Amino acid sequence: MEIMINTGTSVIQAFYEKKGSTLKDEYRQSAAVAFMDAKDMEKMSLNPRDKIKVKSEWGEVVLYVDKSHDAPHEGMIFIPKGPWANILISPETYCCNIPTYKGIPGTITKTNDEVLLVSELMNKVYNKYNLKEENLSDRPVYKKKED
Amino acid sequence: MEYLLKNGIVFDPKNNIDGEQMDIFIKDGKIVENVSSDAKVLDVSGKLVMPGGVDLHSHIAGPKLSIGRLYRPEDIRRGIKPASQEDISGFEAGFSLPTCPTIGYRYTKMGYTTVTEAAVPPLEAKHAHEEINSIPNLDIPTLTLFGNNWFMLKYVKENRLDDLTYFISKWLKLAKGYGIKIVNPCGSEAWGWGKNVDGLDDPEPHWNVTGREVITALTKVNERLGLPHSVHVHTNDLGHPGNYTTTLETFDCIKDIKKNKNVERNQTMHCTHVQFHSYKGTSWRDVSSGATELIDYINKHNHLTCDIGQITFDETTTMTADAPMEYDLFRLTGLKWANKDIEVETSSGLIPSIYSKHAPVSVLQWAVGLEFFMGVTDPWKIALTTDSPNGGPFIRYPKIISWLMSQEKLQDMLNNEVHNWAVNRTNLGTYDREYTWNEIATITRASPAKILGLNDRGHLGMGAKADVSVYDIDVENFDPTLKNNSAILENKLLNSKYTIKDGEILVKDAKIVKLVKSNHIWCKVNGLEKEEEILTNRIKPEFNKYYTIKYENYGVNEHYIKPETCVDIEYGGVICENN
Amino acid sequence: METPITDYDEEIKNCSCSYCGNNCDDITYLLKNKQIVGVRHACRIGASKIINDQDQRLLNPMIRNEEGILEETSWDEALDLTAKLLYNSTRPVLYGWGETSVEAIKKGIKVAELTGSVIDNQSTICHGSTIQAFQNVGHPVMTLGEVKNRADVIIYVGTNPMDDHPRHLSRYTTFPEGFFRKNGREDRTIITLDPKFTNTAKVSDKWIQFNMNEDYLLFNALRILLKGQKIESDEIAGVPITELEELINIMKNAEYGALFFGLGVSQTLAKQKNVDVLIQLIEDLNRYSKWSMLPMRGFFNVSGFNIALTSETGYPYGVDFARGYPRFMVGETTTIDLLNRREPDFFMAISADPGVQFPGYSIQHLTQIPTIQIDTHWGPYTELSDIVLPSTRVGVETEGTAYRMDSIPLFMKKVIDKPENCHSDEWILNELYQRLEMLKSKEEK
Repeated sequence: MEIMINTGTSVIQAFYEKKGSTLKDEYRQSAAVAFMDAKDMEKMSLNPRDKIKVKSEWGEVVLYVDKSHDAPHEGMIFIPKGPWANILISPETYCCNIPTYKGIPGTITKTNDEVLLVSELMNKVYNKYNLKEENLSDRPVYKKKED
Repeated sequence: MEYLLKNGIVFDPKNNIDGEQMDIFIKDGKIVENVSSDAKVLDVSGKLVMPGGVDLHSHIAGPKLSIGRLYRPEDIRRGIKPASQEDISGFEAGFSLPTCPTIGYRYTKMGYTTVTEAAVPPLEAKHAHEEINSIPNLDIPTLTLFGNNWFMLKYVKENRLDDLTYFISKWLKLAKGYGIKIVNPCGSEAWGWGKNVDGLDDPEPHWNVTGREVITALTKVNERLGLPHSVHVHTNDLGHPGNYTTTLETFDCIKDIKKNKNVERNQTMHCTHVQFHSYKGTSWRDVSSGATELIDYINKHNHLTCDIGQITFDETTTMTADAPMEYDLFRLTGLKWANKDIEVETSSGLIPSIYSKHAPVSVLQWAVGLEFFMGVTDPWKIALTTDSPNGGPFIRYPKIISWLMSQEKLQDMLNNEVHNWAVNRTNLGTYDREYTWNEIATITRASPAKILGLNDRGHLGMGAKADVSVYDIDVENFDPTLKNNSAILENKLLNSKYTIKDGEILVKDAKIVKLVKSNHIWCKVNGLEKEEEILTNRIKPEFNKYYTIKYENYGVNEHYIKPETCVDIEYGGVICENN
Repeated sequence: METPITDYDEEIKNCSCSYCGNNCDDITYLLKNKQIVGVRHACRIGASKIINDQDQRLLNPMIRNEEGILEETSWDEALDLTAKLLYNSTRPVLYGWGETSVEAIKKGIKVAELTGSVIDNQSTICHGSTIQAFQNVGHPVMTLGEVKNRADVIIYVGTNPMDDHPRHLSRYTTFPEGFFRKNGREDRTIITLDPKFTNTAKVSDKWIQFNMNEDYLLFNALRILLKGQKIESDEIAGVPITELEELINIMKNAEYGALFFGLGVSQTLAKQKNVDVLIQLIEDLNRYSKWSMLPMRGFFNVSGFNIALTSETGYPYGVDFARGYPRFMVGETTTIDLLNRREPDFFMAISADPGVQFPGYSIQHLTQIPTIQIDTHWGPYTELSDIVLPSTRVGVETEGTAYRMDSIPLFMKKVIDKPENCHSDEWILNELYQRLEMLKSKEEK
């Protein structure tokens, strides 16, 4: 389905972000979500907490889907700002310093793929340090100082 | 550290020293009678020596400046100057809206050591003090805005002068303010509804209080408290043709209020940027100067002082708590308008202004300012200001001095440079006065210090603060009356040979050699603590209802005012100063 | 319903919240054994920030080792390496600052000047366009108390404070009693303009839904109608003309109107041009009535950064010190543009998480260059950071100044002790500054 992607702050995502629990499942559950108009969900036979793959010109990411409380807004999904939404949004600033966070054209399909945790997502997408999977967790992974 | 400033030509009007060649001795930050043989000798033979400059009305810190800088990057770009390699000062930025460090550099290089920030709303006083911390090298008293404050309006309306006295005393402590500023009393509150008041006796629609009532009440309170400075008034109707009658009425409305017996100043009211308040006529088409009548009043009365608010023909930025006037200017010019209304206290506004030698109104305003300089016979009644940056930025003071000292220059401008309204609509052409160095020292040092009540400066008497400026001008051989010397004069006054503050050399040969933290000067009235506490307890519930921050978080705490000079005032007693 | 907290031994009143641009300063912290166990008066998000999780807290400086794992180290080592990397870079960017104190920001500006860095804050991705519009057109604003005391008409455009600034309506604008609005909510008309039926729309008297990305059309139409001119089509931006006429009449007849706008205006298609027209609308309305406006600023000190940077450099954000003096050029000296052009060769984030905030394409460049994090918690950006410097929480563990969305300054208290080996942003930046000065003086010799 072709949709318009909108991103922005949501109260639950902000709650976990400010709480400082971005590595954990609770943050994933709050920010790795596409909020859809119920009518659109019906068209795709989607139930809340089903998973979808969202694609834009800039990337693709797997998200949970949920019913929007701000409907009606058919043809549009809302993704709370965060590492998952960032993959989709456009870096285009039109020379005005602000990237394009809202109104990105995209497509969605239903999927069984996993929604990644922050550490998995950051390492899979950006792969700065080539880390092994055992070094990724919902908790900080680091080496303690040897005394 | 001791210094011997040798053989300068000294102008110290307060001590009746008018161009004498003499030595100045400095020890431990003060002017002293003699120094030891260890003193460092600074040979300034034949050079112009004056007390450090004192500006009694300038806009240098606080929310207005921030808004100005934020919305006028074009002004910032105009004043960019990379840091020089031989100087210890950093880069400069901004023309009419210099950055905080730039303000310090430019004033210091002009030989100024004390500059008053003329309009601080208490709610944002932390902001002003925080900016002062980024301005180097000055002593900075701040004037606190009271002329549209709701608690004040309430006490005036209910004629509760005692409560008003405790309120002002307490609020100066909270804002760490030095004196009472009144701006368009009642008019800025009316702007809360998009309205203004018309003159001294037009009541604000809700409070039913007039400008006259506010000014007289606050003047009485000021004298009861015995604050070192008088009320500092920006009268109603700024910038409106025909406003000179309001100004005259304002001059007159407090003349019977007795001055506190413990203060040294002569005035009970200081009217600021009087130039903007001195127009006759009914519109900008038939406008003419109303300066003559006002000058006549000033010359005949002693309860009043003024500063000028001289126009300098620049593209500058106007900023004032007189917000309705700024909206009028916006309607007139269409330039980008900024407005900021501050709960319970005041409104404020900004707009760029382009004063041109070819624009009749600009020229009229320029000439009106100069009429005051020419017409007020006693220089102790006036002070040189541009209401910086409103009439032009403070770096134009030397240019103004070059006009005041040379009739040849002035006549040349009238004949060849400026629009004919200067001659046709004002009396500027009828004066032939030329300022002497002594008079210049008066209107830039002695008089503003005295008007402010900062009696430890503005002169070089024994025990005075060792704030001294020396300019690379050979007084005997330099003729400031010559038109051809105007540009040289301006340049020399912009770049002092020495600026010494508290006995430390900050500028040497036009280069900044030392940066020190600016001093926050504020007034503390002692003796009313109990009354203030009772009043505060009564106010608190109302405060917390109508402000959007808590009373407990309102005041400026110690964190923001290092270093400070607290001027202690004993209620009903004498003023004593300590650091 | 959450159960009230009774198990505490100390109450600290009138603390300033360190979440959003509301900077609510009436918060009570409840302490037990010198730790915060509860808060009163704060919204849910504010409370979560004040009593936040400590299991993701950054507690010791770390440097990434050869296997790519962060490894704890001493402050000296971490600071020396950071200073060296910064000193040797040619296009460093110092980004963030929205959640730290003005005191720390001022130290950061000194570091930026010394190293020829670009210093930029979240304005660059949020209300930078609003600031551009202020620079284009004008700046008619007010403090929130003006709205509380006077406003009879309040409009929210492209913002959802019920979620993002939860106490905005209840503490500052809509619900409280004001001096001239004794009946609070009843004395006011609240209108929300938003493509979505937001929680703010739900508590408004009127919700006007308009089409995404058509803000510019909509606001222009309102200006046209205000001037008494006719519009040919039946609807603009999906809104029937009759509804717009009704709206402009309410606005024109307000005694005191206040308009708040958010990223829904400043981040959508026409960006600063949307805000340009909105400002002009406010200016026009002042011919008939009294109107002011205010952007809904996000972090508790984004506004403070803009103010501090203008005080020190003249410009509000995106300041480039590459030439030794400040330059500001939108689209050139601004963070996202720099990253998109792959220019920076050093990136330091201070109290900000680019992993949460930046587009993926921009983040990609951070994998190619040294990256430093100064923050309190492990976050997405930690996963991309080479050096991590653990800092303290302003308004909880460290005192300092912040500016509210309407630029009212607030002094934020220190209430509890910081974790032993963490240091304030101000301290960290000062240490860096001293090391950088040393490197500079060595080189000059």
